[in-house]
Amino acid sequence: MENDVYSLVLRDTLTEITNACPDIQNIFLFKEDGSIISREEKNHEEATVHAVDALDEVLEKAKVLGGTQSISFEGAKGTINVSRVNDFYLVTVVPEKADLKYVNIFTNVLLPTVLNLLDKIAPALNQNNLSETVSEEPKTKPAIKPNEDPAEETAENHENHEAAEASTEKILPEPQVNQFIVENVGGLFASSDTVRVDCDTLSQWTELYEDKKIEEAMVETFGGKSVRCKLKPLKSAKLEGKGIIQIPEKIQQMLNVGKGELVRVKPIIE
Amino acid sequence: MVKQKKSPEETVSELEPIAVEKAICEDNVRPVLEEIKKSDGVIGYILRNTTSATIDLNDPTRLMDYATLSSSTFEASEQLSELFELGKISYIKVEGKDINTLHLRIDENDISIFIEKTVDAKKILEKMHSQ
Repeated sequence: MENDVYSLVLRDTLTEITNACPDIQNIFLFKEDGSIISREEKNHEEATVHAVDALDEVLEKAKVLGGTQSISFEGAKGTINVSRVNDFYLVTVVPEKADLKYVNIFTNVLLPTVLNLLDKIAPALNQNNLSETVSEEPKTKPAIKPNEDPAEETAENHENHEAAEASTEKILPEPQVNQFIVENVGGLFASSDTVRVDCDTLSQWTELYEDKKIEEAMVETFGGKSVRCKLKPLKSAKLEGKGIIQIPEKIQQMLNVGKGELVRVKPIIE
Repeated sequence: MVKQKKSPEETVSELEPIAVEKAICEDNVRPVLEEIKKSDGVIGYILRNTTSATIDLNDPTRLMDYATLSSSTFEASEQLSELFELGKISYIKVEGKDINTLHLRIDENDISIFIEKTVDAKKILEKMHSQ
């Protein structure tokens, strides 16, 4: 799950909560299927995985209580709180003298708000679909995973889709909508009408649409602006797998976006 | 020769009080639990130590479920305490949708108390620690 936008937002939220509450020694989210969202710190990862294993056992057995709403482990040197937030379990580890009221304001208010907000503003980022997708894919895939969003399909794409259907008499999947982080294009000879995405994404699309040529893509902003551009793979291997799209300055201006912002990209099937 | 004679005596004198202490401890805990069990909303308890277990539940058909929940909770608490350096766990509270549970360790005794959601867990903890 660590490679999707949903988890990216949640991870940032956890980091912000920790910044606001330095008392929190560790904080992470997990689901019953074993997916974990934690902060970036690698040194916490192993402990987090073991903790989820231990908690999973209790949660399983606690079904006899009608399911678990919360668990608190009160230790001499600190406390672990596990609370159910939507589909997730939020785990916080705080030391003995932590201001629990202050911590709870953030964990019990901020996080559910973010989760609800995510569900409202981006239903396409449905975490269930994403966790299934990610579990089937290697970790080297881009940080931002594709989402199917049939409602976003433009009339133009619909025509293309129909044309493809007629010619092959085969039902093709709906065009995928991927989300990427905007990056500037460097170099003197950079083409002003071409955007670049990582090879993995291009391979995915090629695989999905079999032998269809994918040479163009529709880049859309969350504000509703869209531009049809040529599509090529990233030149720099360093940018691979980071969920980045290189967009020339001219197109960035047309879309009114800048470096670091999110855009949606749909392949145009010819 | 003198040393050989002394050592078995020392062993006996060390072992005896421990056994007595355990018995006293369990004897102290059980009446408190029985008292708590009489309160409204208390579903039952499990008292377990290295040598024996006492289970008193309103619904004996749930015995296995509650017993495995109790042991899993204590096991998890040990692992989590080690992972996050929490020290000795004084108690664990599990809030379920229908039922809450309290788990605490007093000396060698693992105690799990099953209560309705309306019951004040703090009062039960106070009673347990006041024994």
